[in-house]
Amino acid sequence: MKKLISMLLVLMMVLSCASALADLTTDGYDGSAVTITFYHIINKDNQLEVLNNAIAEFNKEYPNITVNAENAGSYNDILKRISEEINGGNQPNITFCYADHVAEYNKAGAVQTLDELINNPVVGLSDEQKADFVEGYYNEGMSFGDGLMYTLPFYKSTEVLYYDATFFAANGLTVPTTWDEVEEVCAKIKEIDPKSIPLGYDSEGNWFITMTEQYGSDYTSATEPHYLFDNDTNKAFVKKFNEWYQKGYVTTAGLYGAYTSGLFTSTDETRCYMCIGSSAGATYQRPKKGDDGNYPFEVGIATIPQVDPANRKVISQGPSVCIFKKSNPQEVLASWLFVKYLTTNTDFQANFGMQSGYMPAIKSVLNNADFQAYLAKADGGDNIAMLSMKVGMDQTDAYYTSPVFEGSSVARNQVTALMTKCLGLTENVDAEIDAAFQDAIDECEYAN
Amino acid sequence: MSQKSIDIMHARDLRKTTLKQNIFKVLGLGGVYLFLFIMALIVLFPFYWMLISSVKSLTEYRAQVPTLWPRIIMLGNYVEAFTAANLGRLFLNTLYVGLVSTLLSLFITIITTFAFARLEFKGKNLLFGALLATMMIPGELFTITNYITVSDFGWINTYTVLIVPFLVSVFYIYLLRQNFMQIPSELYLAAKVDGTSDWKYLWKVMVPLALPTLISITILKMMGSWNSYIWPRLVANDEAHRLVTNGLRNAFTDTSGDVNYPVQMAAVALVSAPLFLVFVFLRKYIMAGVSRSGIKG
Amino acid sequence: MVESKQQWKAWIYLAPAIVLLLIFTVWPIINTVRMALLENYSGLKAAGGATFNFGIGNFEKVITYRRFVQCMKNTVLLCVFTVPISTLLALLIAVALHSIKPLQKALQTIFFLPYVTNSIAIGMVFAAMFNIVGSFFGTENELIVTAGIINNVIEFFGGKAVNWINYGSTYTANMFVMIVYIVWNALPFKILILLGGLTGINKQYYEAAKVDSTPRARVLWRITVPLLSPMLAYVIITGFIGGFKEYTSIVGIFGERMGPASDSGRMNTMVGFIYDSLSNNNQGRASAAALILFGIILIVTLINLQVSKKRVHY
Repeated sequence: MKKLISMLLVLMMVLSCASALADLTTDGYDGSAVTITFYHIINKDNQLEVLNNAIAEFNKEYPNITVNAENAGSYNDILKRISEEINGGNQPNITFCYADHVAEYNKAGAVQTLDELINNPVVGLSDEQKADFVEGYYNEGMSFGDGLMYTLPFYKSTEVLYYDATFFAANGLTVPTTWDEVEEVCAKIKEIDPKSIPLGYDSEGNWFITMTEQYGSDYTSATEPHYLFDNDTNKAFVKKFNEWYQKGYVTTAGLYGAYTSGLFTSTDETRCYMCIGSSAGATYQRPKKGDDGNYPFEVGIATIPQVDPANRKVISQGPSVCIFKKSNPQEVLASWLFVKYLTTNTDFQANFGMQSGYMPAIKSVLNNADFQAYLAKADGGDNIAMLSMKVGMDQTDAYYTSPVFEGSSVARNQVTALMTKCLGLTENVDAEIDAAFQDAIDECEYAN
Repeated sequence: MSQKSIDIMHARDLRKTTLKQNIFKVLGLGGVYLFLFIMALIVLFPFYWMLISSVKSLTEYRAQVPTLWPRIIMLGNYVEAFTAANLGRLFLNTLYVGLVSTLLSLFITIITTFAFARLEFKGKNLLFGALLATMMIPGELFTITNYITVSDFGWINTYTVLIVPFLVSVFYIYLLRQNFMQIPSELYLAAKVDGTSDWKYLWKVMVPLALPTLISITILKMMGSWNSYIWPRLVANDEAHRLVTNGLRNAFTDTSGDVNYPVQMAAVALVSAPLFLVFVFLRKYIMAGVSRSGIKG
Repeated sequence: MVESKQQWKAWIYLAPAIVLLLIFTVWPIINTVRMALLENYSGLKAAGGATFNFGIGNFEKVITYRRFVQCMKNTVLLCVFTVPISTLLALLIAVALHSIKPLQKALQTIFFLPYVTNSIAIGMVFAAMFNIVGSFFGTENELIVTAGIINNVIEFFGGKAVNWINYGSTYTANMFVMIVYIVWNALPFKILILLGGLTGINKQYYEAAKVDSTPRARVLWRITVPLLSPMLAYVIITGFIGGFKEYTSIVGIFGERMGPASDSGRMNTMVGFIYDSLSNNNQGRASAAALILFGIILIVTLINLQVSKKRVHY
């Protein structure tokens, strides 16, 4: 009896090992039936339809992989939920993520590194597929300080400069390409319309981080010491923008108390003539049609101002996808196949981009006839989404990625607070700026 | 001065004072109403704001000068809210969870309270004190550990996980105990002499006498299920088990993080409506329950 | 014999509740203490196999946090203002409601309304009412696009618009908004309890007062308040406990920034601090902060009970 039990035990162990034998670096998916869960935040019917069609197409090729795609709320909901789920070992297989989230999940070592899957001879990516990704997006997956790849881009947005093309044309203004030109244009606009705030910037955090990139000054590092943003270059540009604010040149969402797009699209006395915001939010930057059925002004879209036009830097935002480790390697392989399908399939990427206004992660969408026709429609009125996508895709060479580490999200929150606070300072500006930088560093250090 | 004239004067004085009193009474009553009306306006204003926002168009909602009355009344927001959030399914889920958890919770509360109010056992006061002390702990802390516990039980995405962890409420036990304590112990002793079992006595005598409090607890528990948010979002957020509040939030968060506020307000109004109706029709019981419970606080 | 029979019978009646409490209340408390005593404990790191030193490092970290005092101050100030104000208002409203006949039911329903609505949504409504959209407050470039409905009312009566919650607003203004919102939120429960208490008071006391033609205010302070004292003690104690757990109301008004844009975190509270630590997946520190909070609430409640023992009349 005892013998029988021990034999059974050995047999069970062998069996359980056998199923774990598949090697992610060399073996392909064996066709066994698996169910994979995919958390996303897509909730618009037209976008869900594109996703569901893609799953149906994927299942034609892999009928045994059941994909449970679930809308799991907002990005924050997903982060909180998965952080808890990892404790119980029941995290999903695939999720939408921001890089900072991956740093959290990595505290538990729960995220599957993609390198072995990408280079896997059976299921990996071809050189062509790798090269098809927009380089800046692809590199984001490797910004974790260890040189390993954790995420693939799903769809993206960036910041662009919206401007009142009608006003600019009427007053003979040129669209600024550098911050120095912004200052000149602001001064001119203030002369033309003293009641205006010439420039609105929606995200203080993006502004600060992008400026550090454009100046080439330090922000954070993926290795110790992490928090490097307390330096003279950064203080200098903060001081400069404080002066702009005091002259009434600029405001931000935090200072203004609402998104500055409201000020930009306003037809009231006080308004902005330029606004820097997300490329995916173009429709919010378009004024309401007047009673005559026409837009009160035409919106122009340009790339954001630079410190040095020869060394352009713009932020890239939007979700990536990551895969979680699972004890059954077939689940991981199946998840990878699905992620690969979504991120490399030109038709899916093109369709999703057209339905959502977000920029596809791969360049080959430009060969898609529908997508070409979509972009060709771009204008500053009804088809503003196409215009912003077009402009956004023009600055793909300028993407930077910030280092990601345990605490990088705290750093972002802190520089957002710092930038907002410093812009409005009126007394003891230098001393207060120094103190604000020190505070922000202290908070960052504390959080670790 | 004759006795008679003194009497007359006295009567006049009396009349004067009652007149004065009446004037004060009327003035006082007017003041009371004025005070209540002003307070009622303050209390009502946010609701008014919510309701008019729910019928505004998104552009009007975002208008820089807020309008006190919508220019165009968009009742379509309500239709959109109902369909977008799949409210029908959410209502059914919530109703099911609410009913089952209320019934079970009532049962457990009744038998536990009976033990505390009528039975004698060692450490009774200590145990009751410890129970009360748990009310002071910030609830967030329970969430961390409870999540791990329920996922070890394999309860994620089930109705069980929405019902079982919160069946025992110290607050309800406290409320009902006040009520049970007021039932004269002579009744219990008499029942004992008659040979009535504790169990029978509890359900035949005490429960009917405490009915108003039990109804109050039912309503509070139903409201709790209706409004619960953090826990359901964590443990049962799939289509089949999602509850009303979560459904609301999920349905109106745009991919760009932008929210269609008027439709959301409409949805909030729709979700609040059942609770509101329950309150209007059962107010009597809530009042009665509470008034019986606290007298000997 | 009978004694021991009742003993085990009582435990049978208690069994379901005790089992559930052990799993879902007691174990979490024990686990909280455990996490608080493991330095820099993080659930995610533990899931990844990390180990942690045993010690009081989490408590040190919490207490030496430079904003800890600020969080305490906010929490205490909110309690000190909102509990008496809401209790007094609730008392006046309850007494007023109790003394009228026509419209009583309609008014009762109105006052209970805040109790049945979603606090997240109402927080949004309040924020919109106080929010100023504009820039450069207090400078020569000052520009106000939307003053918010509250400021519209102030201006209608000839006052000057106040910067309530936006960039550059004062701590006093922020506190004022929070107090208004929290009092508004706390009223229905307190009115409910106090009105319940009033209906339970024997009418004879009032008849006696009527005969003596005692003035209203005197009746209120000399008869109603003492007779209501158990209820008052109850709403004050629960008010303090709730006040020390204040968090969602601040998120409702200020958002996750927990303060005006010029000074984020200024209005943060103890529970807010716990949530911050939790969202950084630092459960050790969150647990330590929660235990400190628990200690404070315990002390305040004991003081309250002690005071009410002397003052509460039965």
